[in-house]
Amino acid sequence: MLRSLKVLPCVVAGLLAAASPVPAQAQQVESELVLITPVAKTLTDPALAEFAKYAKEKWNITVKTSALAAGTPVAYGRIVEWKGRPEADIFWGGESALFDKLAEQNLVAKLDLPKAVVESIPDSIGRPKPIPLKDPKGFWIGTVLEPYGLVYHPKLLQRLGVPPPKDWDDLLNPKLKGNVAQCAPTRSSSSHATYEVILQREGDAKGWEWLRRLGGNTGIFTARSRDVPSVVAKGEFAAGFAVPSYMAFEDRLAGFDIKFVAPATAWITPEPIAILAGSKHPKAARAFIEFMLSERGQRVAMERGVFPITPKYRVQGAAGSTAEMAVEFTGGLRSYFDREVTNIYDDDVAQKRYEAVNAQFRKDIESVWDELKKKY
Amino acid sequence: MKLSRPSPAAVGFGLIWAFLIVFVVFPLVRIFYDAFTNEAGQLTLVNFQEFFTDSFYLRSFWKSMVLGVAAVFTTSVIGIAVAFLLIRYDFPGRGLFSYLTMLPLILPPLVGVLGFVFILGRAGTVNVLLMDWFGMEKPINFMYGTHGVLLVETVHLFPMMTLSVLDALSKVDPTLEEAAQGMGAKSWRRFWDITLPLTTPGYISGALLVFIWTFADFITPLVLGVQDLLAPQAYLNIMQFVDRRIFRMGIVISALLVVLAILFVLAARQYVALKDYSSLSYTRVQRRQLGPVMRWLAVGFLSVLLFISFAPQVGVLLAAVGRGWSLTPFPVVYTLEFFRQVSIETPRFIINSFLFSGIAVFLCLAVGVPMAWILGRTQAPGRNTMDALTTLILAIPGTAIGIAYIRAFNFPLPLIDLPLTSMWVILPLVLAVRRLPYTVRGSHSSLLLVHRSMEEAAENVGATKMRTFWDITVPLVWRGILVGALFSFLTSIQEASATIFLTLGGWEMMPFGIFTFYIAGSQSQAAALGVILIAMCALSLYVVNRIAGTRVGGLFG
Repeated sequence: MLRSLKVLPCVVAGLLAAASPVPAQAQQVESELVLITPVAKTLTDPALAEFAKYAKEKWNITVKTSALAAGTPVAYGRIVEWKGRPEADIFWGGESALFDKLAEQNLVAKLDLPKAVVESIPDSIGRPKPIPLKDPKGFWIGTVLEPYGLVYHPKLLQRLGVPPPKDWDDLLNPKLKGNVAQCAPTRSSSSHATYEVILQREGDAKGWEWLRRLGGNTGIFTARSRDVPSVVAKGEFAAGFAVPSYMAFEDRLAGFDIKFVAPATAWITPEPIAILAGSKHPKAARAFIEFMLSERGQRVAMERGVFPITPKYRVQGAAGSTAEMAVEFTGGLRSYFDREVTNIYDDDVAQKRYEAVNAQFRKDIESVWDELKKKY
Repeated sequence: MKLSRPSPAAVGFGLIWAFLIVFVVFPLVRIFYDAFTNEAGQLTLVNFQEFFTDSFYLRSFWKSMVLGVAAVFTTSVIGIAVAFLLIRYDFPGRGLFSYLTMLPLILPPLVGVLGFVFILGRAGTVNVLLMDWFGMEKPINFMYGTHGVLLVETVHLFPMMTLSVLDALSKVDPTLEEAAQGMGAKSWRRFWDITLPLTTPGYISGALLVFIWTFADFITPLVLGVQDLLAPQAYLNIMQFVDRRIFRMGIVISALLVVLAILFVLAARQYVALKDYSSLSYTRVQRRQLGPVMRWLAVGFLSVLLFISFAPQVGVLLAAVGRGWSLTPFPVVYTLEFFRQVSIETPRFIINSFLFSGIAVFLCLAVGVPMAWILGRTQAPGRNTMDALTTLILAIPGTAIGIAYIRAFNFPLPLIDLPLTSMWVILPLVLAVRRLPYTVRGSHSSLLLVHRSMEEAAENVGATKMRTFWDITVPLVWRGILVGALFSFLTSIQEASATIFLTLGGWEMMPFGIFTFYIAGSQSQAAALGVILIAMCALSLYVVNRIAGTRVGGLFG
């Protein structure tokens, strides 16, 4: 019913458009755009709002935008369940391996972006294991760079007599017992990736021992990764593990006293983006992706605590601007292309044993959590 | 009246059954099919074998049972005490208390537990005061763990127990007790032999609902970091789609929740069916005056109870107007920004809520009132099954219904070539199905009050059936129907367990909005939307209360 009602204004608009002279630009976009995304609305909302403005200026079209918020696994699952008849146009965010899986199932379409746009983004970043920033086959492309690091509540740490953490190991401080928040790797892709960082850093045996000790220090396993900075910002817990930088920055913007640090081995995600096969608004979808990779789109993202995907731009703004606040929040970094990036996380290894790691987590940590708390 | 001729009545009867079969029976059958097959679609028991040999799932199962029983115990103690005080005794503020003690029931999902964390969390008001003023070193853990879940469920659900018992108590004819007294029975004897047996059905149905509600709530445990319970396991397993094996285990757990609900209903069947058991009329109870000491004890008990019950509302209100509230007893910076954002900038949560709940209530009335009439006024075949289905709907967890709908209605429909899950109408539909029992019960219990003889009398003096219906039946039952409908509305607008699985972009109702804001880390916006929802529900409940008085309880029992 609502659908047919929706059609009416479109028809009316179509008639009006036919009556008025057609704008000169060849490339028109549809008047609607729907994202399905694990990226929090604090980043998607401003990006969509700015895109709508851009579309109005460029084509004089009012694009109705919306974002269907869903965690990475949920978003992936829904796309699979839609079986090529998607309720959204764009999948944005998560691990690039999932995008490869979708491409294998023909559930995402080729991007066909202008060559200059694609080439402005390097193939990969980091050593010894390079992180791919775009798909050589052209099904997905990175949008921003975003580290998964640690958060802490300075005032609470001071009360506990704990110095601000710098590296993963600082979370094992016995004084933090019961004060660490994390999300289970079975529930969160950022947590899963960071579990892999720990395992690949010093080998499985030592890695699991380390993770068990972290379990012993953990006061809460949150339901989603986004809850980790929330509970730390509020002061419910003192430190959090495996947090995407911009999520923590949102709490900072909301007025909370929370700090973020990315250890040297922290994994960096390019937040891939792709157009869903069978999308109802493919032109608007492509225009949005091009917009996100333009300077204007990158600036919107940089205001929210993530880093540019190309060496062309750096996080910068007037003194006291949100961009400068973000620079301070993430430890003074303006671009990941300014420095050597260490990456030890191998996504192929991780994807091959994805379920095995989850199963071992359930067996060795989740189901014996009470014993771990007593043991360590 | 028999439905033998092919009359409009027979057609209606058929339509109602069609509705029940398509929207209740079919999805449940589908979820069982999923639970008993593997990815290749072959029949198998492997899923259940995996569940019952996995020590973590078994522990979750056991913990869920214990938690459910514990919640029944705590809500019984509080709920029955409140019910007795309210119906049997007179004391200052009785009327006000009888309204206020119902309010915790309308605490929307997620809002309650968030509010509690703001007040009683590790950095909540109470702990911060204890640490700042009394030099306590470590916060007391009131919330994180099973005990916190029990606290939230108890405060939320004791009014359900109160209402059920209240309803039953007000149906106990005082003359029975007086008769017993006249024959020399002592007060405890009267209670044991007269009052208790007559109130048991109300109590049992209340207890069943408390148990199932606690058993099926996944949001509260998740916020409090308790994941080894069945409902959170179902939710978490379903909500990660990547690992298909874990996904299927989520479906298996949902099927198990349904089986358990059916078993519990069967076990309590002799008490919780729609029976003609109760007396036909509510009776005016002669309230006893309490002595001065007891009077103030009663007021004191209720005040303390309400103080605790309203902690979450206060917490949510503070969070909705406070900016960057952390480690101080109360927010330091105040703002109305969050209210503006959730109501003026994005009014769709509120609009959708009214639209979908309104349609749901309309559906409830269209299906529920005729159902009540069939159950109360006819000998139509299959009415016992219909009655059993109604009770079952009350007992089936929303989580399971949501998952069942996703699985059952995800195929393209003929003609329109769209699956039902892609059409927004699925939300009012699922709401209508879940809240149907309230309309049926509300209408049915008021039909019971209209003695058949009244209608017969009218017919005997020559009134047509239509005339009888409009002049006799309608004036006597409209209140019951209205109360049932309002209650369906009130509970629809708060629903968040089935709809969470079915909502697509643009269809968000208020509880889903609260959930999305919470997921996005915007607890203040979540709280602001929660405050708006609570205010609306409190208003509807006030109206229900004015019209129905204590009869609201009859909707559950």
